[in-house]
Amino acid sequence: MLTLQVIANVWDKHLMTMRTIEHLQMFSIALLLSIIIGVTVGVFIYMRPKTANAVLNFLNIVETIPDLALIVLLLPILKLGAGPTIAACVLYSILPVARNTYTGLKGVDEQYTYVAHAIGLSPQEALFKVRIPMSLPLIAGGIRIALVFCMGVVTLGGLVAAGGLGTVLQNGIQLYEKDAILVAGLWTGLLAVFLDGFAGIVEKKLHERYGTW
Amino acid sequence: MQTERLFDRIDSIQFKGITKKYGTGFAVKDLDLEIQGGELLILIGPSGSGKTTTLRMMNRMIEQDSGSVTINGLDTREVDPVRLRRNMGYVIQNIGLFPHMTIGENIGLVPKLERWDKNRIEERVRELLNFVSLPPEMFMDRYPRQLSGGQQQRVGLARAMAMDPPLFLMDEPFGALDPILRKQLQKEFLKIKNEINRTIVFVTHDIEEALILGDRIAIMDQAKLVQVGPPEELIFNPVNELVADIVDTKRKFKHMDTLNVKDLMSPFDEKYVFDGKINSCDAVEEMTTRDIETAFVFDDDELLGQVTMMDLMKCRVKIQKLADVARPVKTFQPLDSVAFALSELKNSGEYLAIVMNSKHPIGILVSDEVLLKLI
Amino acid sequence: MVILETVLDATWEHIVLVYTTLFVSIIVSIPLAFASLYSKKLEFVVMKFANMVQAVPSFAVVAIMVPFLGIGFTPAVVAIMLRALLPIIKNTYIGLSNVDPALIDYAEGVGLSQWQINRHIRLPNAYPAMFAGIKFAGILANSIAVLTAYIGSGGLGEIIFQGLIGYNTRTLLAGAIPAIILAILIDISFTLLEKKVTPGYMK
Repeated sequence: MLTLQVIANVWDKHLMTMRTIEHLQMFSIALLLSIIIGVTVGVFIYMRPKTANAVLNFLNIVETIPDLALIVLLLPILKLGAGPTIAACVLYSILPVARNTYTGLKGVDEQYTYVAHAIGLSPQEALFKVRIPMSLPLIAGGIRIALVFCMGVVTLGGLVAAGGLGTVLQNGIQLYEKDAILVAGLWTGLLAVFLDGFAGIVEKKLHERYGTW
Repeated sequence: MQTERLFDRIDSIQFKGITKKYGTGFAVKDLDLEIQGGELLILIGPSGSGKTTTLRMMNRMIEQDSGSVTINGLDTREVDPVRLRRNMGYVIQNIGLFPHMTIGENIGLVPKLERWDKNRIEERVRELLNFVSLPPEMFMDRYPRQLSGGQQQRVGLARAMAMDPPLFLMDEPFGALDPILRKQLQKEFLKIKNEINRTIVFVTHDIEEALILGDRIAIMDQAKLVQVGPPEELIFNPVNELVADIVDTKRKFKHMDTLNVKDLMSPFDEKYVFDGKINSCDAVEEMTTRDIETAFVFDDDELLGQVTMMDLMKCRVKIQKLADVARPVKTFQPLDSVAFALSELKNSGEYLAIVMNSKHPIGILVSDEVLLKLI
Repeated sequence: MVILETVLDATWEHIVLVYTTLFVSIIVSIPLAFASLYSKKLEFVVMKFANMVQAVPSFAVVAIMVPFLGIGFTPAVVAIMLRALLPIIKNTYIGLSNVDPALIDYAEGVGLSQWQINRHIRLPNAYPAMFAGIKFAGILANSIAVLTAYIGSGGLGEIIFQGLIGYNTRTLLAGAIPAIILAILIDISFTLLEKKVTPGYMK
């Protein structure tokens, strides 16, 4: 029932090229922010281990909040548009990135840190040249989880006027256009599965490159 | 960051009244020691004797509780630790190399942090790899895990030499290697040491190693310095039982004339056996996998001789069969006397021999420095 | 303006939706996890599918129900199940298969039947992982149940969507806050349950 003609019609009618671009834009910004903030938080709790439990527990609670409810909570602060959606993505994604960064940094054998210092690396150099690179496979695993979270939350953006492919799904349901729902639903799923698979390959490569000591 | 050189050469290093507490006990107590410029000083003693602590106080990886370490009159506590360490080469046993960096990146790490330009770093890396007998084109882009233990240790040494420091600190650098490989690297290091002519402080628990490499040996026990002097002095004038025990003279001396080669040899291992028909390049890879640097070449059951990895590395230029490049190797019978075998070895300039039982290899004899000094 | 009674009704609907789905998911998952132990093919398909569907955005899963099942309670249950099944199957399977093979050999040696081995050795060993999976599935179900209101399942999402129409902050919060409280309650109760069923030697 889904002929190429039907797909092309739906695609044009629902401006899906534009929606896909919006979707990926929100996704990229959200993921980038998640990585920056997540890694920073991970490094921070590694350097101040006393804060680690409190920070991780707090992020765990954030994690349980239903995604749409979180976006709704952010609406009064950030108004309609892409803001609340992106903020919700980031709030969800800090935990996997931060937790994996923290676990990765903790997992680096003390001996390497010792050698780094003994051959004359400053504490910052030891962190950036030795500990963080050696944690990369685990950090990448966290980023991959964040990627899946962000894809999911960005799709919800359609419900709060953020644009993206969620908008097509929302219109499809509203107008009861089965073809639109199918095309947009499959396309959104395909995009997510493809990006996740790509991240999986990157993660595997990093494991091969950095992960065998 | 670019680090200024603290010293061009070492005139002397002085430990004065150094004490380091460790919980309720002492790691080092009232240590006074002078290290002369240009010498290789061995720190040796049982575990817990304070030898490693002493070494690590020199680059401030451990800070003393009281007393001072001065290098050319400069108190180390007045120097920023990072700057101090960049003026010293540091070699540690086992996993000293960073697994996520190539050999080239490992060696070039500190020069890169010192903002050397790319070409200069690469040139330096090549020079150093050549110096430790690892052809750069073959090893630069490999990762540490692709190297054998012996090769990794050479890279560790090359990395320490990167900034051409006047002082080297070596923390049991050959400690994790098997005895035969260790001997080979010691011999090689001895050559390097004479070539670079730097001050070296070297921690070990292996008296053999101490006697081969040390200009002077400092024996430590229970946080205290017991005796310091050249090898002969320790062997012939040990100040107490402990020193005599460590250099092991009494026991070996007593049995010298009754010892046979079979008492001293290590058992033969199949991993040393290579077929004469293998070509030299394949042999290098295979030796890397087996973590050996010397192999014995056989043709069927006949011993053709020995090859070392260093010789074979030249395979890039010219590929040959092992049978054609094998050098003669000394062989002994299990019941030959040790005194005879060791002096034969010494006279031939070798340090390895095969022990044969009629036509079968049963052991490997490695020259023994303590005994050699007694002959 | 929302009336308290509306909120309570919606909360009850929400709870019914979440726990119905969770219950059905558990009933379906556990036999599947056991079956995966005996068929490499099934294990491969289940795990691949599990990992793939996990990447698909929930809203896409919910929307795709409409062309096939229309709107209402049933499509909502199916959509939630598609997401909630997977963590349970995956975790249960990992728990079941992570038993020391020597222990299984021993159990066979003393004459335990397959059923007895599964019941008394594999299953208790799988409890901690299984309950962690169920907790995760519960939280997921609670999240998606908010969304399914968009395809007519009722529940707290309905209040949120009403609030979105007029952009009424109070209505929005009246839907969102109970949903958050439910999520936290699921988290706490299942964490306690998880601790309770973990055999002493595994703690």
